[in-house]
Amino acid sequence: MSSLNTFGAVLSYAIGLEARLRDYYVSGGQTDRAQAADKRRKKLERARRENVVEITLEPIEGLDEADYAFDLDDRSESGQAAAEALAARFYQDAAPKINVRAAQRALEQCGREHARLADRK
Amino acid sequence: MSRTIKNYVNGEWLESEASEFIPVHNPATCELLATCPDSTAGDVARAVQAAKDGFEEWRSTPVLNRAQYMHHFKVLVEDNFEEISQIVVKEHGKTLDEARGEVRRGIESIDFAMSAPVLMRSDGLEDISSGIDETTVRQPAGVFAAITPFNFPFMVPLWFLPTAIACGNTFILKPSPQTPLSAELLFELLDELDLPEGVVNLVHGGVPAATALMEHPDVTGVSFVGSSPVARIIYETCTRNGKRVQAQGGAKNYIAVMPNANIEASVRNILGAAYGCAGQRCLAAAVAVGVGDAYDQLKDELAKQTLNLKVGYGLDETTQMGTVISGAAKERIEAMIAQSAAEGAEVVVDGRGFSVDGYENGSWVGPTLIANVQPQTSMATEEVFGPVLALMKADDFEDAVEMINDSRYGNAASIFTDSGKHAREFKYSVNAGNIGVNIGVAAPSASFPFGGQKDSFFGDLHGQGMDSIEFYTERKIVIERWV
Repeated sequence: MSSLNTFGAVLSYAIGLEARLRDYYVSGGQTDRAQAADKRRKKLERARRENVVEITLEPIEGLDEADYAFDLDDRSESGQAAAEALAARFYQDAAPKINVRAAQRALEQCGREHARLADRK
Repeated sequence: MSRTIKNYVNGEWLESEASEFIPVHNPATCELLATCPDSTAGDVARAVQAAKDGFEEWRSTPVLNRAQYMHHFKVLVEDNFEEISQIVVKEHGKTLDEARGEVRRGIESIDFAMSAPVLMRSDGLEDISSGIDETTVRQPAGVFAAITPFNFPFMVPLWFLPTAIACGNTFILKPSPQTPLSAELLFELLDELDLPEGVVNLVHGGVPAATALMEHPDVTGVSFVGSSPVARIIYETCTRNGKRVQAQGGAKNYIAVMPNANIEASVRNILGAAYGCAGQRCLAAAVAVGVGDAYDQLKDELAKQTLNLKVGYGLDETTQMGTVISGAAKERIEAMIAQSAAEGAEVVVDGRGFSVDGYENGSWVGPTLIANVQPQTSMATEEVFGPVLALMKADDFEDAVEMINDSRYGNAASIFTDSGKHAREFKYSVNAGNIGVNIGVAAPSASFPFGGQKDSFFGDLHGQGMDSIEFYTERKIVIERWV
């Protein structure tokens, strides 16, 4: 059974992920990246609050947090790139599972931002 | 020792004079959350007097200012969104997503009420005769009350309260004694608005408080949501006492699935419609009608997807279905499943005797699918108000429509189809107040009236939308001549 099986479970995982990334960058002294992560966290909290549509709540399949094992102890440049790439993959996997376009768009935007950060050396 | 919740009257939290108290339990954990006073006619009289005393000042508060209160109210609800959602889960047992969805829909009703300056405008005509002009004005009508159910403890009060007060009326809420904590939090937020005293009042309790509201001469109108037998009593009592009344009752909502529908996608949506809020909503899908060849496919796909649903405590975000409201509800629902089996139906997925690890004493009924249900049997005609979906077979589209229209209820009906012709014919000929096309829960948004026909509604003006503006205002015709 997939662990990210509801609208709320997916959005809450994403919110938690951005909070973890914010703390990761804060501890590494990378203020800009920490602020960007926190901005995404707030965007996702708003998406969860404003786009939960009671009449289209449907089970979600095929998304499991075990597939996204972040190593946030590795603070090297390559470790950061790996974390960003994994975050991008999560958002790319998650967005199509969400049946509310505005929330899907928020996930897609987060995915694009993480993909850009993963490519930045 | 649990705390006893208080009434909110004239801008203050007051202890009820009740001698009876009703325990409020978390239906999943069985934790005693609070005790709710069974407020008396005396408690109600104090609330009505406060609302009556507050009416003149409030009605003369400019409508733009009243709308501003709604703006501030919305901000407070948004700021407390998660806390409210969690309280709804704890006292009701639904999932966190369902609770968030409920709060969201409540906010939509506040949004609607913000438009009072536009919605209360009326019209006029110059020179209806030489030098004589005629205009209509809408005025607030007085003290209104709402008696609301356990199943949407935050949202349903907001169907009524924001529009009523934005229109310039004063208001008394009597929420369900099974789920009074969401209403308590609602009033804690209203208290932060610093509304004038008496504009909003909260009286907890059961039948004595409800009866006192319906019989009090200073209450102009009553809104109610609940079961059909009680809705009928509310309607009759209020009309006998000369009040406006809108009484929304129960339902037996049918969903027709045509052979050309995408069965897998339809079932995904039907699951939410049937088992969302553990089936405890007046728009829940109660009967799926497989039309022709669709029946067997529908049965197989429903069984497969129903078995995959994760039942558990609503605060766990991976839970897809929560508890029913109480042990008594569980017993009643399980008895109805047994009766249906005794009548010859096939219990394909049986939710009786369900248990969840760690919450063994909770009020669990697993999602239940009953096939081969025949017309006129209990499962085809009686409201279950639990996570039970009946499956019936229709020979063709016309047969399905006839089955639906045979129901004494008329709250909602849906069709899943790829055919515009059938969709159009369904909308045209089915006798239900809310129609879904490829949507299992045909829930109107706040700017539309919440429909309901036959035994699902007693009254003339429905809740929500322009009906609510009509309900909460009095129209006055002014004919003027200046010489």
